[in-house]
Amino acid sequence: MKAYITYFKLKFITGLQYRSAALAGISTQFFFGFVYIMVYVAFYESGSGSVPMPLSSLITYVWLNQAFFALINQFYKDPELFNLIRSGNISYELSRPKNLYCMWYFKLLGQRLANVTMRFFPLLIITCLLPEPYNFSMPGNMLIFLVFLISMFVGTLLVTAMTVLYPIVMLTTMNEKGIVNIIVVVADLLSGVGIPIVFFPKLLKTISSFLPFQYISDLPFRIYVGNINTINGLYGIIIQFIWLVIIIVIGNLLMNKNIKRVSVQGG
Amino acid sequence: MKIYLKALSLHLKSELEYRSSFIISFLSQILVFFSYYFIIIAMFSKFSNIKGFSMYEVLLCFSIIQFGFAFNEVFARGIDKFDDLIVQGNFDRLLLRPKNIIIQVLCSQSDFVKLSRLIQALIVMVIALINLNINWNIYRVFCLIFMIISGIVIFFGIFILAASYCFITVQGLEVRNVFTDGGKQMAQYPIGVFKKGFVYFFTFIIPYAFVNYYPLLYFVGKSNNIIFGFSPLIVLLYLVPCIVVFYLGIRHYNSVGS
Repeated sequence: MKAYITYFKLKFITGLQYRSAALAGISTQFFFGFVYIMVYVAFYESGSGSVPMPLSSLITYVWLNQAFFALINQFYKDPELFNLIRSGNISYELSRPKNLYCMWYFKLLGQRLANVTMRFFPLLIITCLLPEPYNFSMPGNMLIFLVFLISMFVGTLLVTAMTVLYPIVMLTTMNEKGIVNIIVVVADLLSGVGIPIVFFPKLLKTISSFLPFQYISDLPFRIYVGNINTINGLYGIIIQFIWLVIIIVIGNLLMNKNIKRVSVQGG
Repeated sequence: MKIYLKALSLHLKSELEYRSSFIISFLSQILVFFSYYFIIIAMFSKFSNIKGFSMYEVLLCFSIIQFGFAFNEVFARGIDKFDDLIVQGNFDRLLLRPKNIIIQVLCSQSDFVKLSRLIQALIVMVIALINLNINWNIYRVFCLIFMIISGIVIFFGIFILAASYCFITVQGLEVRNVFTDGGKQMAQYPIGVFKKGFVYFFTFIIPYAFVNYYPLLYFVGKSNNIIFGFSPLIVLLYLVPCIVVFYLGIRHYNSVGS
């Protein structure tokens, strides 16, 4: 276990070195958040119809999405792992007396956390100071915030478990495009990064509730803005946790199966 | 022009060599594009209009912008990926050849997978046009054609500007995305729905409003001012400073060596 934690720390500290990339990331995220919000503001000002979420909650939701984008997005691709597989250097990894799944898991977790650590705080500070209605608002009470934190923590573990699946699938497909890309797009849409799940048409909302994607970020963010009350939030966290276990088990099974037939091409 | 077509056909052939990879990427691009207009449709299932624009009006605007953007992604990929040329030092090679430099950059790359976006944008456009009650006349036909052309031209201009940025630095290129992807994201909606300051910015600094707002007003009959119908032509002028900036950049270009 100690080895994995050290590996995690190593990746985390390495990740913190890319500060100019983080700065560029923050400004991009800020701009995109602003564009989304202006569209929503225009829609809400046009009135009419029943809205699933008040405007101020929706805006806070958008800012949360942008602030934690580095943590929750599915598009994250680790070129290092893919190169490892393509170049055949994976044989070195396999010869180490450690569980490869755990290694990869902690590696990705460390990178994600490092990326988000540098980004979320400045963005949230700036957006707090924006004039109404564009500002980011504080949670209703401490209890809500606490439930949000727990759910965010499980969500982080969940999204990492999912992204570990991509290089594992690639062990057989040898191509990060293709199947993986398709999964990533679907996952991104259904995790509420583009538009909150509450705005989905009914059918898709139902489908989405049987899939793990909305438990990555949609659940914690909706808890934060008060769109889900704390009791239902706690139920949600239980489901989140079940999905986490399921996906880790799937990942391990796939990994063991794929490693048996992995063929190292030169190297 | 002949050279460009020749280069295009070569790129197409080389991409089709990896057929299964091409097909799967093509399919995943269809999904990506679907997620774009899905957002618009989902929003309109909760709201009836956005500042007086109906869903099909927004979809028309969306399809014109996406068409212009995808057109450049397919046929002007070399400019979009200009930093590759600079970083790898290949740009020096192009400078030595006795042909127009922009044409050569255009020849350097293309991305036919993005054809899937182009085709889908066209389909969305046709669906929007069928569902809108357009009072067709010869001016409106021209107006639509001008809008489509200006959509292509404006992104070409922005891509060239973004490429010129590579002459200064190849660091922090994500900032470029704010103007390309970010601009695209905004211009999916008629610029007029946004706050005043933004409307001015996107009328006079980056003239999106002449692609998707003023002509749209005329096209769907919200305004009878025929000048609005011809306003996309202003975008053609926008290309001039973009190209000038690019050539200024070349003059100050220092090779990274290779």
